Amino acid sequence: MFMLDKDLALVQTVDFFTPIVDDPYLFGQIAAANALSDLYAMGARPLTAMNIVAFPCSLGFEVLEKILLGGYQKIHEAGAVILGGHTIEDEEPKYGLAVTGLVKPSEMTTIAGATPGDYLVLTKPVGTGILATSLKGEFITEDEMGDAIESMCALNREAARVFSEHGINACTDITGFALVGHLYEMIRASGAAAEIWAAEVPLLEHALRMANMGMVPQGQKRIEDYVPKAQVQAGDIDAAVMDCLYDPQTSGGLLASVPAVIVDDLVRDLRGGPCPRAAVIGTITEDEPGKLRILAERRD
Amino acid sequence: MDIDIDARGLECPRPVVMTKEALANTTEAFTVLVDNETARDNVSRFARSSGCEVEVKDHDGGFLISIVPGRASEVETGELASCTPETGTVLFISAGEMGGGDRELGATLMKMFLYAYAERREPPAAVALMNAGVKLVTEDEETAAHIRRLEEQGAEVLVCGTCLDYYGLKEKLLVGRVSNMYEIQSILAGAGRLVSL
Repeated sequence: MFMLDKDLALVQTVDFFTPIVDDPYLFGQIAAANALSDLYAMGARPLTAMNIVAFPCSLGFEVLEKILLGGYQKIHEAGAVILGGHTIEDEEPKYGLAVTGLVKPSEMTTIAGATPGDYLVLTKPVGTGILATSLKGEFITEDEMGDAIESMCALNREAARVFSEHGINACTDITGFALVGHLYEMIRASGAAAEIWAAEVPLLEHALRMANMGMVPQGQKRIEDYVPKAQVQAGDIDAAVMDCLYDPQTSGGLLASVPAVIVDDLVRDLRGGPCPRAAVIGTITEDEPGKLRILAERRD
Repeated sequence: MDIDIDARGLECPRPVVMTKEALANTTEAFTVLVDNETARDNVSRFARSSGCEVEVKDHDGGFLISIVPGRASEVETGELASCTPETGTVLFISAGEMGGGDRELGATLMKMFLYAYAERREPPAAVALMNAGVKLVTEDEETAAHIRRLEEQGAEVLVCGTCLDYYGLKEKLLVGRVSNMYEIQSILAGAGRLVSL
């Protein structure tokens, strides 16, 4: 965060990756929605973006055009503009963006405000990592991945708007560290503990079946390494469901820590509007800071 | 112990894909060597979900997974078949013509066969089209019409997406839906009766 004056700050974030779907236009959209996600988690308004591209000339420039068009379309939808970018030649295509936004520091949401008694609200289903691995292994077709593709292409803008209207205590976007990893960061920064109710976590179509078929991505192990085992206490939960909780996400949803008094209204506005599958997936507790309990079902 | 598949140094899903290919080609026991826990768990789960017996041993810093394929009946009760419940008759067409010999005659015979099958009014549970068989639901309107009649009578028509891509026919699909090897093999393995052309 860079203070422009006492009431206004600049925030910047960058992300890029290799194709997660075969369709270049959809890949471009997903990469842009993913890059913007961090700004929305902070409650910032995107202003500008710069393309970052690595591309093998052998693939043909129509493919590159489609990737960039997909990215442009999402940046445009976000109300921002692409100022330029840089391309290098590389064996494997990569695309992403560096995005810049504006935020009022007094209104900025961080990961540090989660308070015991808050409810945890997740705006998108999880499972994109497992499904991308399944697509790579040709266990499913891109058509069967429709649910995941639609979810990854969706901007988190409207969810962020609902959050800012209601006022929340903390927020993060769910990406490479999976639901468990990002929640762990939030509770550590907040000095709190949390409980996840596994049965309440929304899952993408086919994710459980593909986890059971052995389509768990390599990156999952890194999350298990990042979140100390001693900090996680898991009940008797189906292995495939656990895989989804530890599944690295691309362009995942927002996870908010929401005061109990407003949670019902907030979830109603999300479900009736931009996030039909938003759900209350757990709660912030007073346990030892950084402790994460994973329960099979909701209790309160 | 012999190592049949060395999947060390490969990122998921490669080790699972290699195991899947091996399972498709053998009924004998075989071993897979992997060098990380994710691959170990994925390969084990895939093999178990396919009805195999699985044993894992530490091996030289990695894991050696022994896989004993299940008998056909066990495979059918496993996860694979449960994704698509056991079907009745499945019509599997992997060529544009019927039988070897003269191609023109073969094409005519295929048309006659499909016409006769549609007239029979006892549709198969599924029609699976692969390799040049996909031309019957794309380039040839006459055979596509016969297969559409089977679909209208209740048959599920599955067309191999890889084959459509290979022949550049994806945009020309006239009947059925694009499917994949995973689903098609699952339907073939679970078929009550298989008619193969």
